[in-house]
Amino acid sequence: MRPLLASTGVLGLFAALYLVPVVAPGQLYALHILTLALCYAVPAIGLNLLFGYTGLVSLGHMGFAGVGAYATALLMKNGIVGFAPALLAGAVAAGAVGLLVGVPCLRLRSHFFIIVTLAVGVILYTLFNNLDALTGGAEGLPGIPRPQPLDLGFIVFDFRRPQGFYWLALTVFAATFVVQWMIVRSDFGRSLAAIRQDETIAAARGVDVFAHKLAVFTISAAIAGIGGGLKVTFLRAAAPLSFELLESINLVMIVILGGAGYLLGPLVGAVLFIAIPEVLRIANELRLVIFGVVLVLLALYAPRGVCGLLAALRRRLGSKGFAHARHS
Amino acid sequence: MLTALLEQIVNGTMIGCIYVLVALGMVLIFGVMQVLNFAHGVLFMAGGYVCHFAFFKLTGSYPAAIALSMLALAALGLVLERAVFRPLRDNIQMQIVASLGLILVIQNGVVALWGPNALQMRVPTAETIVRLGSLSFTAQHFVIIGTVAVTIVILQLFLVRSRLGTAIRATSQNADAARVVGIDTNRIFLITFTIGSALAALGGALLGPLFLIFPQMGDLPLLKALTAIVLGGMGSVPGAVIGGLAIGIVESVSTLFIPTDFRDTVVFGLLILVLLFRPWGLFGVRVRGEA
Repeated sequence: MRPLLASTGVLGLFAALYLVPVVAPGQLYALHILTLALCYAVPAIGLNLLFGYTGLVSLGHMGFAGVGAYATALLMKNGIVGFAPALLAGAVAAGAVGLLVGVPCLRLRSHFFIIVTLAVGVILYTLFNNLDALTGGAEGLPGIPRPQPLDLGFIVFDFRRPQGFYWLALTVFAATFVVQWMIVRSDFGRSLAAIRQDETIAAARGVDVFAHKLAVFTISAAIAGIGGGLKVTFLRAAAPLSFELLESINLVMIVILGGAGYLLGPLVGAVLFIAIPEVLRIANELRLVIFGVVLVLLALYAPRGVCGLLAALRRRLGSKGFAHARHS
Repeated sequence: MLTALLEQIVNGTMIGCIYVLVALGMVLIFGVMQVLNFAHGVLFMAGGYVCHFAFFKLTGSYPAAIALSMLALAALGLVLERAVFRPLRDNIQMQIVASLGLILVIQNGVVALWGPNALQMRVPTAETIVRLGSLSFTAQHFVIIGTVAVTIVILQLFLVRSRLGTAIRATSQNADAARVVGIDTNRIFLITFTIGSALAALGGALLGPLFLIFPQMGDLPLLKALTAIVLGGMGSVPGAVIGGLAIGIVESVSTLFIPTDFRDTVVFGLLILVLLFRPWGLFGVRVRGEA
């Protein structure tokens, strides 16, 4: 593992992503798809920390994203605060709910924990869907304003335009990516990896397993909340269907497809998951059938996701350093 | 009030029986293969569609249509176990991916074949009204409850009395030890998955005449069955039966006191509450060191 090479690769990738609207200015549809993918990649980072690095599967993560989304939406719609503080408030709200849920649920054994997260997700969804006074019920909260234009003197970023919002989404993603990177490289991150590999041994080596799980669950829910806030600002409406069970399962798919436990896994997974069905539009009604077949084939032949597949290919080619290498 | 309560208890028992059928298949598959098959709900749905097709196009007899639907889904289960789930044993992550892939394939495949609209299946028992005092139900309610009761008894006898059933239980307790005493565990996996799929089809075929047959009809039964097997303790057959019935009755009775919109909140809230006090489920086995 050559860290310098790896970080150069990641920096290059981000530079390329920032340049997409400049290189292909007319491709607004592709830009829309990329922005949507980024809106999924952010909560996927939260789930990656929980699932990829700590080994805990949550099937209700879009519920937490929903908490952040509704908090952000309520604050922005009523003009109480701007985008950045609203997004942070959403993260705090989602993190707080995550903490509340985590305290009782993290004591449960593997499969029980998975099902309880699913239950929490469904409960949050029914609340979004039925607390009409707060969440607008099934109709949701339409008319969320886009953030105010950012004037840097020499350049103005207008977030109402697709390019502007793409850059905003990419920046939010980059920020959460850095958070993920810092956590994974820290002592805290190493303890998480130890928990994933063997809880009992980790505990025997002095890791407070429950405290670590609770901390990462809270952080993970908070990041999901940021993703939810970003998504509703992009779509300009918060609706319960964006945070239903199927979306939570899709998020797990994104993380697994991209490669759980790889830094770039969430991004790769989100782009594939959002883009493949779009590409398949040529096949009309059968597109989701084909997508399903693709998923089954990936499950059978790429057991560690696309990043894992790439890493294996790279190893076979004889080079040891690879930007997507597992940090654990 | 008492009338309404009794009515909801019968309704709850009926829908609980449907959950039991889905849960039994899932709990057998999970207990024996450690596979959590999220595609079980679409097998349920496909069972409803095949029954509809068999009833109207092949045979006019509802029982024969149910049997055909169970056979067809058993065959599908056979293929799925062999082609998808056997290679993915021990990899719960990829089981989730593959299950979702299968959900997409089967759900959209059904839409391509039958269209997106809900289908009606009027069978004689769903048209007949049975009166019990001031209460009235369709005969189908009692067909469901009776069929499921018989199924549970047959399944239990099969598991406890027959050689094959004993082999299934042995594999579920310890697959390695089962291989040591000469049980072909691969064959047991195949048989278990086939039985589970047929039970899902039975559920879809039984519920179809009462509710409509539509591509998402298996989603809620899947969720409730999942809850039932967790309540029952992941891997316990009696636990799945009692869990399924309890969920059906609780959610039906709860609608008397709480708006229907919050029915799922009640069910899943109850699940969390039970697990807080019995983290190993109602009938599960406590693992050392668990809370």
